[in-house]
Amino acid sequence: MKNIMLITTTALSLTLIAGCAQKPIVQYGDATAVETTDINFGSTDLQKVANDMTDSLLLSPIVGTLTENSRPVVFVERIKNKTSEHIDTESITDSVSTKLLRSGKFRFVDMTRVDAVRKQLEFQNDAGMVDSSKAIQFGNQIGAQYMLYGNLSSIVKSTKDKSDVYYKFTLRLLDLKSGLVEWADETEIRKTRSKGAIGW
Amino acid sequence: MNKVRVAQRQGDFTNAQAFIPQQNQQHNAYNLSLLEKGRLAFLQKNWADSQLLLAKAYQTIEQENAKANIQISKGLSNASAAVSNDNAIKYQVPAYEQSMMHSYQALNYLYQGHLESALVEVRKANLVQENALIDNENEVFIAQKEMADKGIESDSLYANYPSMTEVIGTVKNGFQNAFTFYLSALLYESAGEVNDAYIDYKKALEIFPDNKYIKADVARLAKKLNIIDESIKVNPVEKSKNTSINSSSELANKLASKSGQVVILYEQGLIAEKQEVKLNLPLFTRHNDMRFFSFSLPVYQNEFQGRVSNSAPLQLQYQKQTHQSDQIVVLQSLASKQLKEQLPSIVARQAFRVVAKEQLRRKMSKEGGDIGNVLASLYSIASEKADTRSWLTLPNRIHLLKVNLPVGQHTLNLEHINGQSAINITINAERISLINLTTVGSYTGFHVANL
Repeated sequence: MKNIMLITTTALSLTLIAGCAQKPIVQYGDATAVETTDINFGSTDLQKVANDMTDSLLLSPIVGTLTENSRPVVFVERIKNKTSEHIDTESITDSVSTKLLRSGKFRFVDMTRVDAVRKQLEFQNDAGMVDSSKAIQFGNQIGAQYMLYGNLSSIVKSTKDKSDVYYKFTLRLLDLKSGLVEWADETEIRKTRSKGAIGW
Repeated sequence: MNKVRVAQRQGDFTNAQAFIPQQNQQHNAYNLSLLEKGRLAFLQKNWADSQLLLAKAYQTIEQENAKANIQISKGLSNASAAVSNDNAIKYQVPAYEQSMMHSYQALNYLYQGHLESALVEVRKANLVQENALIDNENEVFIAQKEMADKGIESDSLYANYPSMTEVIGTVKNGFQNAFTFYLSALLYESAGEVNDAYIDYKKALEIFPDNKYIKADVARLAKKLNIIDESIKVNPVEKSKNTSINSSSELANKLASKSGQVVILYEQGLIAEKQEVKLNLPLFTRHNDMRFFSFSLPVYQNEFQGRVSNSAPLQLQYQKQTHQSDQIVVLQSLASKQLKEQLPSIVARQAFRVVAKEQLRRKMSKEGGDIGNVLASLYSIASEKADTRSWLTLPNRIHLLKVNLPVGQHTLNLEHINGQSAINITINAERISLINLTTVGSYTGFHVANL
């Protein structure tokens, strides 16, 4: 009896020790799952903002008439970060433009890669290594007809027990020829964090 | 920390950084060591490193803020603080240090060419000050009540405690930092957001109402935005001058478009270290008998302040005109005020500790006889040490000087406490050129940025 007791206690303590000295666990998760690690701008907010905006843009009747017979060329200016957090707003515009491209209704020119394109064209035309009859000539690109731009702003309030963040994301589509804003929409996010009364 | 400060005074920031003790993340002053290193990296003009270090410091502060109000682990460290001293408690970064952290971080981003990120940082700094304003009154009141509950009257405390009134000066609270507001206004202005800039210039003016440069800025932007501001009183003489400019506003506009602003932020000296004072304070026990106990409390000494406070304004000679800098923040005053506001809670903790140590002594004398008694008494004296931690590589005060100069290359001759510096700058039309000048001990350094 004593032996059994001894064995069980040793086995128990061994499992306990093994439990304590666990290796870090690496897991795959759902990329679209709701993430609430902290109150800061996170993946869920980014996805919500991008989805809301593209849905609204694609469903709006004005855009419907714009894209009826043609695929307008758009360039993304940028999203101004007016919050009190460091947020990669380029990532939001990337998501929005990718979704719009996927819909097949719009075409995009990428202003962030103009320098790289210029370098490549210079190489093709001036380096003497590319067959000049097959080199892509300067001055054949298509200019954008519309500009997509926006703002991300926030209001943060916090007390000892509670924090509240409100984000407002505004996106606009501007006709470069007429200067008219053809479409605009905004989406809001509110997040609150209440502190636990007792914790480690 | 003394070695660090000596090295810093000589301008040897690499060595100063090496002297900062290496601390792991669990250490109770880990956040402080990050701040010190971040500031030294900033002085070294190593913006990227400084940005990383200060970002880490911010992270630790945020983590601390997000934690539950009652923490078991904190309770444990506070329990060990109850039988040793306040140094065992995790260092709480006060609001004025947090606002300076965000200000340096903003400059780090700015010098690396990220104005938008710099603006994020100044917004964070403003948030710190807003929250401090909300929390402050409440906390001071609660701490005073707590101290009274422990049987100490504030009269007997302040009668014995060295006065810091000279150091504190006219500061209303320990967190309102005009420098931070001014920096944020500058950045907003250079980003073209004039309305935001106006609001922050005004906030800076509220804190330092006599600063002529801030006054001029508020007036300038009020005019630009067509705001009639009651707070800027214009003398009749000046008014007539203004109208004469108005009548020839076209000419004034022409002139303005061919000039730019030079803003010099002049950081002077080093913030003082907290000293320790030992006080014998009466404590009323449960049976209402009074006993004197020894307290060690942190203090900023007035006389020490006198030595470092010789504020020498910066002088700029330009075309036979002398411009003089004006004070925009005295960090030493903020630190002293902050300490004074914290004092009741420090004393309350000390009273609690005195009781705990007394119990320890009784127990040890019961179990260990005379030797136990002596040991416990020795321990309670030896372990009594005031919490003198603070961010020590910060400057003592910051001055502001602003002039309008015509577009083009200029060499500015600046006269400061360490002699003279000739600084070459380029003025762009209607833009701001920012010079950050630092004198610490024998070291003089500057950095020029065109916003």
